[in-house]
Amino acid sequence: MIIVDNLYKSFKLSKKQRKEFNTADIEAVPVDKISFKCEPGRIFSLLGPNGAGKTTTLRMISTIITPTSGKIEVAGYDVATQPNEVRKSIGFLTGSTGLYERLTADEVLKYYADLNYVPKAEFETRKKHYYDLLDMHDFAGKRIGQLSTGMKQKVSITRTMIHHPDVVVFDEPTSGLDVITAENIIKLIRDCKIEGKTVIFSSHIMSEVDLLCDDLAIIDKGKILYNDTMANFRANMKADSLTREFIRIVNENKKVNA
Amino acid sequence: MKKIILIAKKEFLDMFRDKRTLMRMIMIPLLVFPLIIYLITTVQESQSEKEALKELTIGYYLNGQSSDMIDRMDTAAHFNFLAYEDTAAITADIKAQNINLGIWFGQDFDQKYSAGEQATCGIFYRAANSEEYERFDNLIDLQKEYLVQERLALNELPADYVQPVSFIMNDKSTVEEVIGKYAGGILPYIFMAFCFMGCMLPAIDLFAGEKERGTIETLLVTPVNRVHVLVGKMIVVTSFGLLSATIALVGLVGSLYLMGDGGALTDAIAKIVTPQLVITLYLLLIPVAIFFAGIMIPVSVYARSFKEAQSILTPLNIAVIVPATLGFLPGLELTYTTAWIPIVNVVMATKAIIAGNAEMGPMIITFVSLLVLSALAVFVSFKQFGKESNVLR
Repeated sequence: MIIVDNLYKSFKLSKKQRKEFNTADIEAVPVDKISFKCEPGRIFSLLGPNGAGKTTTLRMISTIITPTSGKIEVAGYDVATQPNEVRKSIGFLTGSTGLYERLTADEVLKYYADLNYVPKAEFETRKKHYYDLLDMHDFAGKRIGQLSTGMKQKVSITRTMIHHPDVVVFDEPTSGLDVITAENIIKLIRDCKIEGKTVIFSSHIMSEVDLLCDDLAIIDKGKILYNDTMANFRANMKADSLTREFIRIVNENKKVNA
Repeated sequence: MKKIILIAKKEFLDMFRDKRTLMRMIMIPLLVFPLIIYLITTVQESQSEKEALKELTIGYYLNGQSSDMIDRMDTAAHFNFLAYEDTAAITADIKAQNINLGIWFGQDFDQKYSAGEQATCGIFYRAANSEEYERFDNLIDLQKEYLVQERLALNELPADYVQPVSFIMNDKSTVEEVIGKYAGGILPYIFMAFCFMGCMLPAIDLFAGEKERGTIETLLVTPVNRVHVLVGKMIVVTSFGLLSATIALVGLVGSLYLMGDGGALTDAIAKIVTPQLVITLYLLLIPVAIFFAGIMIPVSVYARSFKEAQSILTPLNIAVIVPATLGFLPGLELTYTTAWIPIVNVVMATKAIIAGNAEMGPMIITFVSLLVLSALAVFVSFKQFGKESNVLR
């Protein structure tokens, strides 16, 4: 379970950043008092255009950055006061996640298993499970730098799941991947749901969201514009397609704020 | 502690698999001094041999004087003497490099010499060809000595008549003192220069590199305290600095040993590089290496990429090299004042240890000030590493 309550993040803009973003504001607010809930066994999607605040939100959930105000609870632990417990419960994967190129797939997985306090026997069992599932045995001893994008992504998936997290955070997990490689991720997200894990993933691709998610939040400029189940979203659509409906909601919000 | 070791172990493995690291931090420091020493000695030896065997043509103008001196010199191997009718022709041929040097006699040379007065003889030479001049000068010196002895014999005077006092020189300084004074600065200079270079590559790779490769986020999501991540990486940066410096010193001392081949140089090295010196040197240099890591890590944490970090850190080299070169200046020593200046104090302290005249007070100040400085550097690194704006920049 993830509970996000009145989450707010701001940071001061330097002179250089003000010039870069073409703004006179002293502060930027990537996340502006948002609240939502992700249930176990369901897939929650955070949908929004580029720069909407998706990554910042997911980074706060994953304890990489700290909220300015508001509260986040992950698997029953408070992000602010129990960050290490939260980290133990989280698997984190992004489309741009890198791996240590000079280590082998085996070494990378062992490193992350050890960092996550996975006992040796448990590590071996889980590693075998994912090696069988994703057909990874052939390149287990090869250095990451010698692997194809698809192979690397399989290592990343195993790395994310090696400590059997209750909550899995995917930040635009398929961005930059070809259809076949992306399919592995899609399958992983579905498997997580079947296993009863809490899944949150961000995307700006409506078709991907439609394919996977049970609950949806549309975010733009740091604010939640829509938050309901995917079934209700489909039922109450005013536009003739999901993508158009998403664009309509974002644009409507722009008009209100104009 | 377990997590610190885990992170350090992984980073060591990662760095040792990097060819760039192996080349810059192990191969270059190990081979640079043996290669330099080998090249210098080989080139110098072959050059000296070549110079000694080179035939030198000396033009001479007797100016109506006896040719006795020329005849004596003409017996020397690899010298050819060529007679000229005037000095202008000699000068022209030297300028055109047809001949190497020239000698002319004053018109009353024989008369003055016979009368026991000072006779005049002139030499034409090219300072640009100093080796040729030195060889001819040695030949002239032999003639000077011959003429003095000849004159003393003619006047029935003993051979040491012109040397009324014989001074017996007795040097009481030890080899360590002499080397400490003139060459003692080299050791810490090399150590610090290589230590700095050794720290640089891992400092960039383990922070800016990790950001660039997109691995920092996944590392920060693991249940490991950020202080532990920083300390684990810092251990690796510091160790590589010390490793690189140690390898450079081993290379230097090893090649000097081989060059000395059991002679006086080998004895001198054995006297200087004692276990006591090595221990003291490391006691001073470990905090220096931590300090180097501490100034590099915040830069690397701030930088967006490997390249950006490298472009900021490379000029910092000068900030280390310049104070380290002060060790070469004679007269500058470890005092209660210099002991407070970082880097300079290490150079001065090492010089004093080699010379065997290190005072306890300035040594303690040096050590304590370095410890404080390294602690400060670690604190700054921690502050910078803790800033999310830096880590995710």
